[in-house]
Amino acid sequence: MEKMGFGNVTSTSKTMKIIDTEKKISVLIVEDDLLIQKIHKVMMTKFGTEVQLAANGKEVVDLFLSGASFDLILTDLEMPIMDGIEATKKLRSMGVTSMIVGVTSRNQDSEIQAFMKSGLNACYVKPLNAEKVTVVLNELKNI
Amino acid sequence: MDVGQLQRQFIDYTASLFREEWRGFLDDQFTQLRKLQDENNPDFVFEVVSLFFDDSEKLVNNMAKALEQPTVEFKQVDAHVHQFKGSSSSIGAHRVKNVCVAFRSFCEQQNIDGCKRCLQQLKHEYSLLKSKLETLFRLEQQIMAAGGSIPMVE
Repeated sequence: MEKMGFGNVTSTSKTMKIIDTEKKISVLIVEDDLLIQKIHKVMMTKFGTEVQLAANGKEVVDLFLSGASFDLILTDLEMPIMDGIEATKKLRSMGVTSMIVGVTSRNQDSEIQAFMKSGLNACYVKPLNAEKVTVVLNELKNI
Repeated sequence: MDVGQLQRQFIDYTASLFREEWRGFLDDQFTQLRKLQDENNPDFVFEVVSLFFDDSEKLVNNMAKALEQPTVEFKQVDAHVHQFKGSSSSIGAHRVKNVCVAFRSFCEQQNIDGCKRCLQQLKHEYSLLKSKLETLFRLEQQIMAAGGSIPMVE
């Protein structure tokens, strides 16, 4: 399965969020692989978003606990210390309503389903490309 | 050679790397990366490709060590191949990625001979790709040194 599109949210996190259209969309990229971090960062920056990086799920949770917030979180699944499933579950239980999109190398239906169940809004198989980013950002603007 | 000739050579060489009948070395993801390169990131593709080849060396060495163990931990080998598959598909290294797919199958089957064959193929494919991309970057440098711009080849 290539992706689980929007509309398959299993969490109760889909609340209305007013995004200031003049402010840049803030994106947190959660990825432990430096090569993929670099590619995703440049890609998202090229789309006009403000990007911050985290190397694993624990860093994301710590960021939110310290009061940070983001319009969009793009998270890998497999990461050391805390993986994408655990991090997403934790964020949703903390009441985080940001859009969370999984970006994973795993492409088995069962693996994608498990990731989606943790509270993602959508999930894509790597690599991220312009087409996938466009869909995600359009969805974000429509919320 | 003038700029125009260099640019034509660049276009032809780039196109050859994508050609299906040669089981393309590169796929559309590489084109996506080239489109991300701009005045804010003038060396983006070179940096990304360099990172990829540094990572590849380490991963291939790790795979080789894991396959030489008296008792092979196939899950460990698979983890390295999985990572390599991820990074190769992120830069558009089409043939390398396909070898990784086959390699993972052999890991799943715990087929040591199949794994060792794939490792050799992986080393071969990534050396070939490295040499092709070095030629491409050299052509780019020649074009820029001659005052030209790099054509975008779709």
